Amino acid sequence: MPSIGAVRSESSGEVRSGSGSTPQKRRSISGGPISPPSPVKWKSPRRSVNGSPKTPSKEIEKDSDAKATRLHKSPMKNLSEIFLDKSKWNPGDSKQMSAAKEALHVSTVPSTVVCREDEQNRIMDFCKACIEHEKAGSLYACGCPGTGKSLSMEKVRRALVDWAGQAGFQPPDLLSINCTSLTNTQEIFSKILEKHQPRKKTKSSTSPLQHLRNIYSKKQQSSGMKMMLIIADELDYLITRDRTVLHDLFMLTTLPFSSCILIGVSNAIDLADRFLPKLQSLNCKPMVVTFRAYSKDQILKILQQRLMALPFPVFQPQALELCARKVAAASGDMRKALSVCRSVLEIVEAELRESVNSLSVSSEKGAFDQQTLPALDSLTNQEINIVRVDHMATALSKTFRSPIVDTIQSLPQHQQIILCSAVKLFRGGKKDTTVGELNKSYVDICKSVLVPPIGILELSSMCRVLSDQGLLKLGQAREDKLKRVTLKVDEADIAFALQGIRFFRNCLQ
Amino acid sequence: MAETPQKSFHSPRKAHKPSPSTPIIPQTPQTVTPSRSSRQVSSPDPSDLRRSSRRSSLQFLEPEKRSSKATKYVKKGERSKLPVTPDVSEARKRKSPDEGNVVTRARVSRNAGLMRKKRVYYKKVVYDGGEFAVGDDVYVKRRENASSDDEELQVEELFETSAEGGSRRGLDMPVCEARKLGKEVVLPKPPKGKKRKRTAREKLLSSDLWTAHIENIWKEVDGTYWFRGRWYIIPEETAAGRQSHNLRRELYRTNDFADIEMESIIRLCYVMSPKEFTKANNEGDDIFLCEYEYDIHWHSFKRLAEIDNGEEGNEEADNDVDWDYGKDSGSDTEEDMEYEEENVNNLPSGPSPAHAVAANSWKGRIFGLKKIGTKKIPGHVRCHKQTELERAKATLLLATLPKSLPCRTKEMEEITAFIKGAICNDQCLGRCLYIHGVPGTGKTMSVLSVMRNLRSEVDAGSIKPYCFVDINGLKLASPENIYRVIYEALSGHRVGWKKALHLLNERFADESKIAKEEIRPCILLIDELDLLVTRNQSVLYNILDWPTKPHSKLIVIGIANTMDLPEKLLPRISSRMGIQRLCFGPYNYQQLQEIISSRLKGIDAFERQAIEFASRKVAAISGDARRALEICRRAAELADYHIKKLTSPPDSSSEDGTLPLFLASQTGLHFVEKYYPLVPKATVSSLDGSIFLCFPGKALVGMAEVEAAIQEMFQAPQIQVMKSSSKLSKIFLVAMVHELYQTGMAETTFEKLSVTVSCLCTSNGEKFPGWDTLLRVGCKLGECRIILCEAGAKHRLQKLQLNFPSDDVAFALKDDKELPWLAKYL
Repeated sequence: MPSIGAVRSESSGEVRSGSGSTPQKRRSISGGPISPPSPVKWKSPRRSVNGSPKTPSKEIEKDSDAKATRLHKSPMKNLSEIFLDKSKWNPGDSKQMSAAKEALHVSTVPSTVVCREDEQNRIMDFCKACIEHEKAGSLYACGCPGTGKSLSMEKVRRALVDWAGQAGFQPPDLLSINCTSLTNTQEIFSKILEKHQPRKKTKSSTSPLQHLRNIYSKKQQSSGMKMMLIIADELDYLITRDRTVLHDLFMLTTLPFSSCILIGVSNAIDLADRFLPKLQSLNCKPMVVTFRAYSKDQILKILQQRLMALPFPVFQPQALELCARKVAAASGDMRKALSVCRSVLEIVEAELRESVNSLSVSSEKGAFDQQTLPALDSLTNQEINIVRVDHMATALSKTFRSPIVDTIQSLPQHQQIILCSAVKLFRGGKKDTTVGELNKSYVDICKSVLVPPIGILELSSMCRVLSDQGLLKLGQAREDKLKRVTLKVDEADIAFALQGIRFFRNCLQ
Repeated sequence: MAETPQKSFHSPRKAHKPSPSTPIIPQTPQTVTPSRSSRQVSSPDPSDLRRSSRRSSLQFLEPEKRSSKATKYVKKGERSKLPVTPDVSEARKRKSPDEGNVVTRARVSRNAGLMRKKRVYYKKVVYDGGEFAVGDDVYVKRRENASSDDEELQVEELFETSAEGGSRRGLDMPVCEARKLGKEVVLPKPPKGKKRKRTAREKLLSSDLWTAHIENIWKEVDGTYWFRGRWYIIPEETAAGRQSHNLRRELYRTNDFADIEMESIIRLCYVMSPKEFTKANNEGDDIFLCEYEYDIHWHSFKRLAEIDNGEEGNEEADNDVDWDYGKDSGSDTEEDMEYEEENVNNLPSGPSPAHAVAANSWKGRIFGLKKIGTKKIPGHVRCHKQTELERAKATLLLATLPKSLPCRTKEMEEITAFIKGAICNDQCLGRCLYIHGVPGTGKTMSVLSVMRNLRSEVDAGSIKPYCFVDINGLKLASPENIYRVIYEALSGHRVGWKKALHLLNERFADESKIAKEEIRPCILLIDELDLLVTRNQSVLYNILDWPTKPHSKLIVIGIANTMDLPEKLLPRISSRMGIQRLCFGPYNYQQLQEIISSRLKGIDAFERQAIEFASRKVAAISGDARRALEICRRAAELADYHIKKLTSPPDSSSEDGTLPLFLASQTGLHFVEKYYPLVPKATVSSLDGSIFLCFPGKALVGMAEVEAAIQEMFQAPQIQVMKSSSKLSKIFLVAMVHELYQTGMAETTFEKLSVTVSCLCTSNGEKFPGWDTLLRVGCKLGECRIILCEAGAKHRLQKLQLNFPSDDVAFALKDDKELPWLAKYL
């Protein structure tokens, strides 16, 4: 084990010393029930985790295994030891900072795609089977945004070419299209055709689709008909009103001598069922691979894997876990997790800049932080050299916090009165009202508190501003007065936001 | 200026003027010497020469008539050269008859040089036989001691072939050198066989020559002639290099100016807009096409407006204005100040990176009055001193850009940090920022000012250069057109949006392209982002997908009003948009106050309470800074208007008592309150007249004016309409309100209403007008949308309804002077 660690640290240009005993100990602690999913495609997590200098991740693993219910008590001591013998991350160093940022950037493609092995294998098997039997086929991958669909497709594509080379099959032609970049839905056929016959100029008399059909329905004279792998990203952009394009595209794979392996990628889980009922009757329904939203553990693992490239710890393990939990609970979108991590780095940067400005203050603050965070109690670090949980909490609250209360509190007074009057109107169980009625109620309130009301024209433009801010919903109507108004925020939110102002407390009684 | 003595003083000097003129041209070696001798030939009559020079000295004395004199003078020069032309060309063995104008070197104009302490500007000059006017384009020699160039030119002139030579590709330097060498060998005796020749055009296209646009021409104090040139560059010299869409003869106009001695001009060429280019037929080889202006500092392309190529007379002024617009549309309010700054910047910086100094340019000399071509400001404009109020009005205009932007420092810091974080490192990581906020909270302004600051940092060298593309969604004909606009801004080429999408995809998303390293980061600012939302949102998807690609180096900043736009979009788009948000909340009253007072800094025109009143009022309603500024401006206007009224008829204001009445009738009561205490003072001082005129200048805009402006802006127009409507309409409205009070129903029919109206009329001694008149009155009110009425077909059963609350009617008609009895029904 230490040897791997040494190799790693060597590769990252770091010198580690005196860590021989600690990793061992750690391993004994965490050698638990992590099951390396498929050691074929990537290094087992255990190995990499143990070997890497990124030791804190181990704590997380362990912690998560223990279902993370108890507080971080026992590992603390261990942690502090680790910190002491580790190379420190210096956020003040712009090079290190930018390296960390780059590792966490969306566009950085990780060398291995973790946590998607299962799906990748299924897709891979499907493609292999198709190529082996020289049979056309179709597959549909669906899943929420940010769940690694396009990334996995990219990996599969590469792996497939390698595999074909090794297995002695003719490597298939590759065509990956993002359907949003097509100017016209029919264009996809001409792109496929172009790939088929790069030289030949298509005759104008037959459409590309027709041409493709001809190719696929005739027996090819030459044996060297290559298979073609078509990856169509964002497939739902091909849905036209009569659905012909999508249908025709999948029908291509059912033709007798078709040679294309079609993989469609999209968000909608039931796209194939809804839009391709005819395929089902032909019994060539595409195989469906679903990419589930990432769970907390998976997000954590991916983040760790990305950070592994760095020779120094950037995040406190608890901070990473907090991020993973929060994102997994909200959407399971990996992009979001990455951008949260990135914004954390920016927060740290800003904090650092401040502390440079006022050194004495920052040291005081650091002391304060140490008190609040028992994890760092034993440490004597005066400056920030790791992203702590509190940083992460700030970033997460910036991302996920609903800004409604702040927005309401910062509204101009008259707009607050409008909201009040809307709340009053909807007290009686009404669901919606019109601008005209809202105006009446608003004028009543204004009169009762002796504020000169504003005109109805002004009021309707303010309603629009409020609907821009997501507080009201304004319907469509020819006349301003007749527009439907509904409240989009909870009454309680408004009451809470305005409770500090006596003026409104009376209004809302 | 003592003109006459100088004139007499100068005329004797002319006799030996030619001799000092010869050493001025040391840089042109022996090849040019024949031309010098030809000059002697071309000026046959010394008396003629003297006459001409005297005329030119006369022309110095009358700067107003300068241009006309100059042209006359030019005519003379032409006359003198006409007979000479044949034998000169004979002497130089030119075989090209079409090059006649180059051959004749009637350099009379040079002799006219007089020692003056001033530069003299010309519109048109005959120099070395060529006729050069402001607005012409010329070939310029590239460097000093360019003897090979000169020889080559000779060669070219010797073996001139058809204008449409070959379309050779731009040559790289070694080949050029080889060519040169080859030619020099050829030079002594022209062989009969195939001869390689390079026309001036070809030399230009292989960057051995330069072209410039003459902005203005002047004669220096030492008698040399200079012109200010605006460089053109060939596509190879741009950052983008020659691209496939560049035409063979395409040039780019730059924003790079240089002062060049006329000596380095070779001859005229013609740079045209594409339209002219297609029509051009008889200009020969030296025609070029120029469609874009190229910013040498920012490496960006801008299509030239058609108007730019218009008349030559005010080209200089046009260009400058245009340039100001293009560069920083209003980083500074005063235009000429900006120009001055720019000149100052240009001066010490010396030669720009794109072009080294041309042959015999200024040799380290810097003259104070380098700014040239400025027109004299007419006296009457200058002597009018702006009053404080007028200055206040000017600074409060929305169009004026303030010098400082208070209250948004935090947001601007955040934007700066965002951009810097993205572009400062070596590798530019694509990112996306969404800025939202209600209108008038400084969103666009903040971003633009951040970009300006960054720009100065780029100039200072602390940040690597980047491209900045600014797009307003509202200005796009369709959302898809954004691809076209982006591509044109990045590459200077116009293509259709489909093609542009393809090319942009290649640039941003295609990983296979290797030449990614040279691409500089691109910052894309999209104002009114919500307008790009199409039905399937593919435009937004594409734009927001690019930053997530490796090597895209694209940073997107989107601005919109809607706070929850990302949530309204498809989840896949909001996922790509990231979580970077920036909210511009509405201003509170302290901020508005600060904004207004920072604009009015140094101008003593507003009372402090007045500003506070205006800002409190706006902050309570919308927090829109535009509105606050408008109110203050309107208030200043009102105050200005009344002061002017006050001063213009001094007779009416001199009598005590008439003034308040006059004011009251003109403006309403609140002004009387303001000016009443001042009236005694004013009348007293008006006795001696002059002091009286001083008094209005001191007037401050007070609460009353602000109140009036707010009334104008916020008070609903319907009150005004009701107040000013006819007697019968007022009765009609009151009847409707009365009906409403009695029945409690919002709707009434015309029949019922007319009964009420007749009741009202009879009981108050008015004559009932009759039904059809009443109906017409109702129609008019309906057209004004004061009342809502059904279609007229039902006639008596037509349903009517007040469009505004009855309180408005009551407010408007309660204290009506004409019909005081209306009040009792309200």
